[in-house]
Amino acid sequence: MPKSLYYGPNEVRAQSVIHFQDIPVNAYQKTVAEERANFKDEDLIRIYRDITILREFESMLTDIKTKSVYNGVETTYPGPAHLSVGQEAACVGQAYLMTPNDYQFGSHRSHSEILAKALSSIEKLSDEELLKIMEGFLGGSCLRAVEKMGPTSSVKELAVRFILYGTLSEIFARKTGFHMGMGGSMHAFFLPFGVYPNNAIVGGSAPIAAGAALYKKVNDKPGFVVCNIGDGSLGCGPVWEALNFAAMDQFKTLWTEDGKQGGMPILFNIFNNGYGMGGQTRGETMAYDMLARIGAGITPNQMHSERVDGFNPLAVIDAMKRKLEILKKGEGPVLMDTLTYRFCGHSVSDQNAYRERSEINDWMEVDPIITYRKNLVDAGVAADSKFEEILAETRERMTNICRHAADPEFSPYCDFKAAPQVVERLMFSNEKVPSFGTDEPRVLAKKEDCPRVQQIAGKMRKAFDENGKAYSKMKTFNYRDAIFEPLIDKFYEDSTLVAYGEDVRDWGGAFAVYRGLPDVLPHSRLFNSPISEAAIVGSAVGYAMCGGRAVVELMYADFIGRAGDEIFNQMSKWQAMSAGILKMPVILRVSVGSKYGAQHSQDWTALCAHIPGLKVCFPATPWEAKGLMQSALNGTDPVVFFESQRIYDVGEQFHEGGVPAESYEIEFGDTNVVRTGKDVTIITLGAALYRAVKAADELKAKYGMEAEIINLHSMVPLNYEKIVASVKKTGRVVLVSDACQRGSFLNDVAANITDLCFDDLDAPCVVVGARNWITPPFEFDEFFFPQPSWIIDAIHSKIVPIPGYVAETTPSEVEQMRRFKAGV
Amino acid sequence: MAKAVIMPKAGITVESCIIGKWLKNVGDTVNVGDILFTYETDKASFECESTEAGEVLALFFNDGDEVPCFTNVCAIGNKGEDYSDLVPGGAAAAPGEEKKEEVKEEAKEEKKAEAAIEKTVSTDGELRISPRAKALAENAGVDPKYAEATGPKGRIIERDVRKLMENGMPVIEEAKAEAAPAAAPAKAAPAPEFEDVKFSGIRKVIAKSMMNSLQSMAQLTNHHSFDATSIQAFRKELKAAGGEVGGITLGDMVLYAVSRTLLNWKDLNANVIGDDTIRYFKHVNLGVAVDTPRGLMVPTIFNADEKSLLEISKEVKSLAEAARSGAISPDLLSGGSFTVSNLGATGVEMFTPVINPPQTAILGVCGITQRVREANGQLSVYPAMGLSLTYDHRVVDGSPASKFVSELCKNLEKFTLLLAK
Repeated sequence: MPKSLYYGPNEVRAQSVIHFQDIPVNAYQKTVAEERANFKDEDLIRIYRDITILREFESMLTDIKTKSVYNGVETTYPGPAHLSVGQEAACVGQAYLMTPNDYQFGSHRSHSEILAKALSSIEKLSDEELLKIMEGFLGGSCLRAVEKMGPTSSVKELAVRFILYGTLSEIFARKTGFHMGMGGSMHAFFLPFGVYPNNAIVGGSAPIAAGAALYKKVNDKPGFVVCNIGDGSLGCGPVWEALNFAAMDQFKTLWTEDGKQGGMPILFNIFNNGYGMGGQTRGETMAYDMLARIGAGITPNQMHSERVDGFNPLAVIDAMKRKLEILKKGEGPVLMDTLTYRFCGHSVSDQNAYRERSEINDWMEVDPIITYRKNLVDAGVAADSKFEEILAETRERMTNICRHAADPEFSPYCDFKAAPQVVERLMFSNEKVPSFGTDEPRVLAKKEDCPRVQQIAGKMRKAFDENGKAYSKMKTFNYRDAIFEPLIDKFYEDSTLVAYGEDVRDWGGAFAVYRGLPDVLPHSRLFNSPISEAAIVGSAVGYAMCGGRAVVELMYADFIGRAGDEIFNQMSKWQAMSAGILKMPVILRVSVGSKYGAQHSQDWTALCAHIPGLKVCFPATPWEAKGLMQSALNGTDPVVFFESQRIYDVGEQFHEGGVPAESYEIEFGDTNVVRTGKDVTIITLGAALYRAVKAADELKAKYGMEAEIINLHSMVPLNYEKIVASVKKTGRVVLVSDACQRGSFLNDVAANITDLCFDDLDAPCVVVGARNWITPPFEFDEFFFPQPSWIIDAIHSKIVPIPGYVAETTPSEVEQMRRFKAGV
Repeated sequence: MAKAVIMPKAGITVESCIIGKWLKNVGDTVNVGDILFTYETDKASFECESTEAGEVLALFFNDGDEVPCFTNVCAIGNKGEDYSDLVPGGAAAAPGEEKKEEVKEEAKEEKKAEAAIEKTVSTDGELRISPRAKALAENAGVDPKYAEATGPKGRIIERDVRKLMENGMPVIEEAKAEAAPAAAPAKAAPAPEFEDVKFSGIRKVIAKSMMNSLQSMAQLTNHHSFDATSIQAFRKELKAAGGEVGGITLGDMVLYAVSRTLLNWKDLNANVIGDDTIRYFKHVNLGVAVDTPRGLMVPTIFNADEKSLLEISKEVKSLAEAARSGAISPDLLSGGSFTVSNLGATGVEMFTPVINPPQTAILGVCGITQRVREANGQLSVYPAMGLSLTYDHRVVDGSPASKFVSELCKNLEKFTLLLAK
């Protein structure tokens, strides 16, 4: 909705047609003899060597999974093995021209992609560079292990051994793996060679890779990104979101800064083996007939889509060469439909019930390991005996590596008994990195010249004057200002910081938190995303993986479901799955709505708090909001930052002196004692704090009870010290939030308090939540969300009967049981 | 400075004791070693000697009060000395006599106390109390069962215990007795035709144990009898011999025979632990039921199988004496593997003794009756002594139980032979 782009009826309503260009299908038809003019013979032979290394790796795993022995090495491996036997030539062809600066992301079936890219990088790097990389990786521990396997003929051979051993011991869950075995087969990678993670969720890499491309584009980093996903993933919404996200018009129309205009440097490569597990894509589960067609549905340039024969490595190299030219010109993203075929099952338990043996045999007859070799021999590149030597060498190398990777003495497992905190230590990085950038942050004007900043400077930084009289709302520094303030500061501190989401720019975010930022930030740092929650969060994950900081927004907490995988599986898990190699400085802002009915009013904090690996907070006052946002912005961990639409305009009512103008941090896990009292502890989460305050006022005025109110501004992590101290004092606890009571995070807190303070409790901890219904229309808010009277009722009925009080809302036990039984 | 006397701990497992009767009153002068009051545990009663000398300044509890061990029970010092810091729970208002005076003055207060005590006699005997209130009561040394429950569902909560601590433990019996004359003229209520007496500690335990026994086990009883000619003759001989052996009774002989027979029947010399475990004993720890003024008590003769008839006889006598006087250590009142209950002297012909949990059986010893038997066409009269074995059918079947008693009868009929073994 930028005003600069005119959307007029005359143009839009004019008659015309849409033109499509032809999409090439297997255009490459050159012979090896012809290509000898373009390739050195040794390169053509090395391509073959790489194919054999990949094939042997997968054959080894097949043997181990099915027979528990490979070439005399006896071992077992219980984990996943989604093998790519048959797909190796396509991987080697793809990687051939890629450099370590070019990033590759993969799928659950990516062993061959990882190894091909690594072998290609080894070929391109000097001995010195290779030694430096190997020496520098995990303090050289992996290199030390590889050196112990015996002498090698060259540094490159040492590096080949290094990459095979690091990958295999990672798959075998050994401490010597590239990330201590915490990722395994479906989450392996090696950043120094540009090998970024593969992903166990089908299509999961698409939004992440788009975010990596965004990082390269925004931060002027060299190289491009290849997103390897399978044809089965074209049925996944997030993949389509990623294709569109990476191809948005605004890169050409609105990103008008120097060097920022143009398409995303990303190649979406679909390794099309014809099956999504057992479902045949063409003919059964998909509609595209030929996968390459889909590029025409995304952009006018049809994403330069084409189908390439992945059984011919030279055809893939040819296509890659042309695609790289397009990306360099800023005309990405591009799409390749790289045909291939999987000889093996989806996994070792696959009975191949969905295809005929004869079909597999027909493909095996044109197996590149046979046909490419024959073509090389026929063209006179080398004698056939040369390839026998290569095969023998490959097998010998693999056997040596397998023997060492399987040996628990040589390649030990992490010792969970001796070091029970091994995984615990990986869950959060807990670092303070004020800036990930080295460049001068790109801004359009000085911060002091931002009208919003000037407006805030004139505001009162607390809610009440000395006499307790409320300042005018317009003149009060409020909750949305409190989120804005550390954010704009960070934009001037960290050049990598980007913020995006739906309507965050011209609108200033649906709730005006970002109002004023467009005045000082270019589009490349603050932009409107499509309505693609999966792409919003997934791309932020990719952006952070590459070394940038991202603040993204989902507008309503109710939209978390649209980004479920990206929040619950990607954002939360990569730090630990990478054994701490990756950092995840992503802040996901989500706003808990009100007045907008059942799909726009839900507090889903419990869903996020349940998932290991996420920090979760929900500030309820401006002081909390600023301090937590500052803390999140300085940190290196993924944060789901809940906000409440009920309180964007409130000023600071509790913190002594109001909200400081200078920067400060609130430590995640701390709790905010907003009022002290001796008779009952009220623990609050979110905007329910303000209703708890009303309840506390009434308790004091009418019944002489002094309530202590503790607001949980962060849920994960959570320091129980102040809570325990309070409970020891009062012995009585009621917990209040707007989340539906069943499964509310507060139940967890209540259970922990009962555990930690049982002997101090004078009554059970009582959780007061919203009813287990849909949120009814706003007119009925008082029947659904906790009210001050519900809190007092709960205290009276369940904790300490108040003389003279008559409860109206707390259900009897019979009624409670009925509701439980009915599920409402 | 005034000193406190504490409630002693009368055994490893004893947590609290009930004051039986105060023998000294406020104002009395006492010396170290004087008996201040009697107290009883679940299983025995004792006398508490004063550990201080001086004037009794205050009694913090009354007859019948249950007092946690090591809690201050009274203050002793020089006349007029301050003892407020000795009051259990660090009370602001010292109870004891001051309380009594209040009660005298204020009939209303007395009524309140009465109401509290009425709540105390709770209907189901279960105490609903919050963990916090419970912990507070324990720390303060007050008995929460005297608290008036004001929490949800009749639960005693913190404020109830605090109120109890403020008001002090009710001193109800005296309070009632002393307050009664004041109220009597107005109401002129007729004296009741009955007397309510609360179960003593031991009675409570017996009641609980017996009910538990019958509710939790599958008990049945076999009745046998044997020819007591042999043991009667032996008894005569011993009596004639006089001295220590002259005191050996028929009951002692039964105990001896049981101690020598039981090890062949391990299921009967056992305890049931939980619902599914049986503990077999390597020795016979023989419980002997003793009638005492406070009720039934069962002291244990440990390792009876290794003791001579005389040793058993002497030990039974000393244990019974200790039990009757209430001076027996609680630790001697448990640990039995089998019990013998002898009602023979009272003329019982047969009865169904109730097993003493967690044991698996109990032998009842009955009186001797003259019976007629036929042998070779001749009728003859002989003294028959009855034995009634109650056993837990969960553990022991009828056949082995009967065989045990048969063997026991055989051994008793040829008692001197058994002695020779």
